[in-house]
Amino acid sequence: MSTKKPTIYEEVRAAGYSRRDFLKFCGTMAAMLGLEASGVAQVAKALETNSRIPVLWMHFQECTCCSESFIRSSHPIVADILLDKISLDYSETLMAAAGHQAEKSLRDTMEKYHGKYLMLVEGSIPTGNEGYCCIGGRSAESIAKEVAAGAKAIVAWGNCASAGCVQAADPNPTGAKPIHKVITGKPIINVQGCPPIAEVMAGVIVHLLTFDRIPQLDGLGRPKAFYSRRVHDTCYRRPNYDAGLFVQSFDDENARRGYCLYKMGCRGPNTYNSCGVIKWNNGVSFPIQSGHPCIGCSEANFWDNGPFYQHLQSFPGFGIEDTADKIGVGLGVVTGVGIAAHAISTNIRKHKQIVEGQEESNDENI
Amino acid sequence: MGQRIVVDPITRIEGHLRIEAEIKDGIIVDAYSSGTMVRGIELILKGRDPRDAWAFTERVCGVCTTVHALASVRTVENALKITIPPNAELIRNLMFCTQYMQDHVVHFYHLHALDWVDVVSALKANPAATSALAQSISSWPRSSPGYFSDVQKRVAKFVESGQLGIFANGYWGHSAYKLPPEANLMAVAHYLEALEWQKEIVKVHTIFGGKNPHPNYLVGGVPCAINIEESNALNAERLAYVGTLLAQAKDFINQVYIPDLLAVASFYKSDWGAIGGGISNYLAYGDLPTNGYEDVSSFKFPRGIIMNRNLSEVIPVDGTDPDQIQEQIAHSYYDYSDGDKGSKHPWEGETKLNYTGPKPPYESLNVSEKYSWLKTPRWKGHAMEVGPLSRMLVGYASGKDEYKEVIHYALQKLDVPVTALFSTLGRTAARGLESVLVAKWSTEFYDQLLANIKNGDTRTFVADKWDPETWPSEAKGVGMTEAPRGALAHWIRIKDKLIDNYQLVVPSTWNASPRDQNGNLSAYEAALIGTPIADPENPLEILRTIHSFDPCLACAVH
Amino acid sequence: MKNSAKKPVISERYVWELPVRFYHWINALCIVVLCVTGYLIGRPPAIQSASEASFSYWFGTVRFIHFIAAFVFFFNFVYRTYWGFVGNKYARWYNFIPYKKSQWKEILCVLKVDILQITNKRFSTVGHNNLAAFTYFLTFLAFAFQSLTGFGLYAAMSNSFFPQLFAWIIPILGGDFMARQIHHILMWFFILFAMVHVYLVFYHDYIERTGVTSSMIGGWKFVEDDKEDTK
Ligand code: HEM
Ligand code: HEM
Ligand code: NFV
Ligand code: SF4
Ligand code: SF4
Ligand code: F3S
Ligand SMILES: [Mg+2]
Repeated sequence: MSTKKPTIYEEVRAAGYSRRDFLKFCGTMAAMLGLEASGVAQVAKALETNSRIPVLWMHFQECTCCSESFIRSSHPIVADILLDKISLDYSETLMAAAGHQAEKSLRDTMEKYHGKYLMLVEGSIPTGNEGYCCIGGRSAESIAKEVAAGAKAIVAWGNCASAGCVQAADPNPTGAKPIHKVITGKPIINVQGCPPIAEVMAGVIVHLLTFDRIPQLDGLGRPKAFYSRRVHDTCYRRPNYDAGLFVQSFDDENARRGYCLYKMGCRGPNTYNSCGVIKWNNGVSFPIQSGHPCIGCSEANFWDNGPFYQHLQSFPGFGIEDTADKIGVGLGVVTGVGIAAHAISTNIRKHKQIVEGQEESNDENI
Repeated sequence: MGQRIVVDPITRIEGHLRIEAEIKDGIIVDAYSSGTMVRGIELILKGRDPRDAWAFTERVCGVCTTVHALASVRTVENALKITIPPNAELIRNLMFCTQYMQDHVVHFYHLHALDWVDVVSALKANPAATSALAQSISSWPRSSPGYFSDVQKRVAKFVESGQLGIFANGYWGHSAYKLPPEANLMAVAHYLEALEWQKEIVKVHTIFGGKNPHPNYLVGGVPCAINIEESNALNAERLAYVGTLLAQAKDFINQVYIPDLLAVASFYKSDWGAIGGGISNYLAYGDLPTNGYEDVSSFKFPRGIIMNRNLSEVIPVDGTDPDQIQEQIAHSYYDYSDGDKGSKHPWEGETKLNYTGPKPPYESLNVSEKYSWLKTPRWKGHAMEVGPLSRMLVGYASGKDEYKEVIHYALQKLDVPVTALFSTLGRTAARGLESVLVAKWSTEFYDQLLANIKNGDTRTFVADKWDPETWPSEAKGVGMTEAPRGALAHWIRIKDKLIDNYQLVVPSTWNASPRDQNGNLSAYEAALIGTPIADPENPLEILRTIHSFDPCLACAVH
Repeated sequence: MKNSAKKPVISERYVWELPVRFYHWINALCIVVLCVTGYLIGRPPAIQSASEASFSYWFGTVRFIHFIAAFVFFFNFVYRTYWGFVGNKYARWYNFIPYKKSQWKEILCVLKVDILQITNKRFSTVGHNNLAAFTYFLTFLAFAFQSLTGFGLYAAMSNSFFPQLFAWIIPILGGDFMARQIHHILMWFFILFAMVHVYLVFYHDYIERTGVTSSMIGGWKFVEDDKEDTK
């Protein structure tokens, strides 16, 4: 049966795109994946010969913005490939079937394509109580484990599945955990961001389809193709940073000139993402371009690195605004006072010794 | 005792919703709506900087992304007595309108249409007849026989592949589908077109807020600065981009969405115009200020309540009155410090998770006890329906001409009485009709923004209350908006510059909540009662009514 | 009391070898530079200028100086670590880590005499006293951690192989943000250390007249002959 299935290339042609369109798409994809020119041919070949891979998109503790971002994927052909050229056999957001029928779709693919399907995960998994997230009367954790068992690879969409995201922020009331803390023994790709950029999501899927292997990952499990550079290093406001030209307050003169947002708390220097390069929604803009500092949404625990509008974190137990510098200055003053007090006390309590010492040195000087 | 059926997961919604229904003689006689996932966002907000709250609450939902951010910044501004500049209000309005247009279109085509449209039947359509149908109802250019024939071939190829993907195990061939093949084919074509289009309109968010989903907001205004002489700010190019997107959106809504909506409705009006009415009280907080958020009378969407479907009276609503809006937890997995009976105004609201449902895996919920993660909101003790229908009814009952115009147009076109609005179909129609209004208003806001800039007003932010040193040691506020799914408000208490309490009462909380402590049903449960079920194994009708509300459970529970 | 009983005989002793002295002053200079530039990086001053970014690079320069100083600081520190194995007995590592009971005793004693000043008893280390040594040990740990976080952060900005050797620290800390946070906080440790350290050096000179201050320049200290090295 599988030999009869049309390849992606055939489907693309059938959809009315020319071979030129197709190669152009392959070129874009190859560029996004950071491939050399020779890679274009590789992408084209893979898409011409592979048929649709079954994909199970699981939803746990999430906000569905990863799904929403995914459907924004922009080169039209990408939207087509991802909605038509993979076989999206389970997606609570888009699938026609509900209830038992939906569960049947899930089971069918898990059985028929055991070891061959991709598991895409949106959302974290609560570990505090099974009742915190149930689907069809079953707990998120048990479903995740079952689906993962037969998956060829797992893609953790967004900050929720990669790092727990907002629900895992202090005090993490539901014990929300990212997928890699719950599932072991499977390759897991953390496609970070809240949400990730649509074309990055598409790019990761195309990588898996094309090369049939896991892309290179960084120390936090993110594909290097999209997460090896800091937002700061690809930010077009960077010359302002290097020149020391900073926005001091939103909508001030400097903001209207597009100066650097560092002093407004920009997390660009600590955040690895492609926002400055690929940008959002087909290259229209990205947070910094539209005047808001980066909040670091592709970094684990970024929610607890706040407040967002200051450069470093506040000190737990002190108020907001109490950064290391305030406390440092405070301690410095305390230390200074301590030193002064010590010096005074020294002159009083060790008077005798000091006088002796002076006499000694007077002796020596003779 | 009737037969108990369970639909879990309810798909083509946002989040995790479970419906249990009792069926007797082919009719639903009782129903239970349960939200099955919780995150505890209200707990997470405690102790944080109020200026950051928008980002946390925005992540409550990525489908109605932006609306929680808007409610949040307004809440903080209300507490700190900040009035934002007119341009910031206009930009927020434009983002609001964008959200409506995108969300409503996606709901209609991608979340709701498959309840009415039989994809498989589209294979039997005659492309030429489809073209004739399409051209008879709209001037949308993509309507040639060749176009529909290509779409049909593509669907055929897809079905032949044997891998049905998202269309697998649908209710195809169900007796409740009534569209002729040609209408089905037209809808399938527009399903694909709408998918393409929705990613365009959101670029308005990208321009003003840097990205979508989850664009950026700012307490005190909006983060994007205006400077028409600068490539790094909102300049002529950026503004022209917005203008183009809004114009395209208006075309799509008027030439594709509305004709399709009316065409589908005309095949279902006789029964579904009378099914699924549910409770008869409607609440809207109103939104789209044209003279500042403080001036409620300037809102394009008026604020008010309609009781018992009485369209001759609009009752005022006050979010700060401790006796009006309250939440109960008699059937929700929470504890109140003073016992489970009782109603709390959100300023006094408490969120303490305590799961007491059955241990998973389970077959059925214990519906006589607690059975949902949603709290149960009430207005002066009454259940309220919120959403597009409520907004249209409040606008209509407030006597606004624009509302009368679109409502009368639709009623006439479908040849149904006003009472047909109180139904599953009415809800779905109201969503389309308000999209028409919103598309129109968005161009008004856009023109106003350009006029302001032309007159030299480029302010987008007020800085005087930005520094926490300027805040009082204690403050409380409420921020209201109309999310696509209905009345949304956040309540905050600020103490010593930090969030002391933060409560959200969300549209889907109103609609999808479990019954209250007196046993009164909320909107979903009430609307299901009386719905005919042709085949309990394939409860398509449940999906129709539930989808007509456009559920969002991540929102509802948060 | 002892010191009034008889006059001690004073002699000079060579304590700080040239490498230690060099190390010390290079280190002190680097730390001052790193604190100043680091502080500026964390909190750049407001410069309201209408200038175009391409005309100016001062912030980039500040960072550049920070990185240069960082390399000097790091290799200087590596060098001192080596000297801790081969240098004279005052430079050796075993002085720094309080693993013997007598060392802890001395720490307590120094606390009493110098810091709390509850007694005036004298103690007798020639090199660092044990409390000072222990503090230096903590300082050395802080040097190490500052270098790890610093070069870990630097790895992302550099193609050179050397900083890449430190890249592993970042995922362990959970990301750049935490690394920066720690890096920044440690700056304050150094500032506080330097304040107390410099004060105490002068204090000891003032009280004990052993020439500590100049010892870091010339290497020689004055020692009373009856004093035994505890080492
Ligand atoms: C005593 C030693 C040092 C002190 C006191 C110091 C201090 C600082 C401070 C306060 C910052 C600003 C952090 C912030 O607020 O974001 C900083 C940044 C930095 N430091 Fe250091 N530092 C020291 C040593 C080093 C070393 C050994 C390196 C190694 C390369 C290093 C590399 C960096 C880097 C890469 C940054 C970030 C610069 C940027 O992103 O522009 N530092 N340092
Ligand atoms: C006026 C400035 C300074 C003077 C006069 C000075 C003097 C001295 C003296 C006399 C010692 C030996 C202490 C003893 O016998 O216990 C010493 C050790 C040391 N000082 Fe300083 N110091 C100065 C500034 C600094 C600064 C700014 C730092 C860096 C933060 C620093 C770091 C150290 C360290 C790490 C040691 C231990 C050296 C070793 O054993 O390798 N000093 N200093
Ligand atoms: N209910 C709800 Fe929302 C909306 N509209 C928010 O307030 O969907 Ni996610
Ligand atoms: S990662 Fe962010 S955007 Fe994605 S589901 Fe989670 S909260 Fe939503
Ligand atoms: S705006 Fe942010 S990312 Fe861009 S240069 Fe400034 S600090 Fe870096
Ligand atoms: S906030 Fe997120 S979207 Fe990009 S610019 Fe920062 S990583
Ligand atoms: Mg709530």
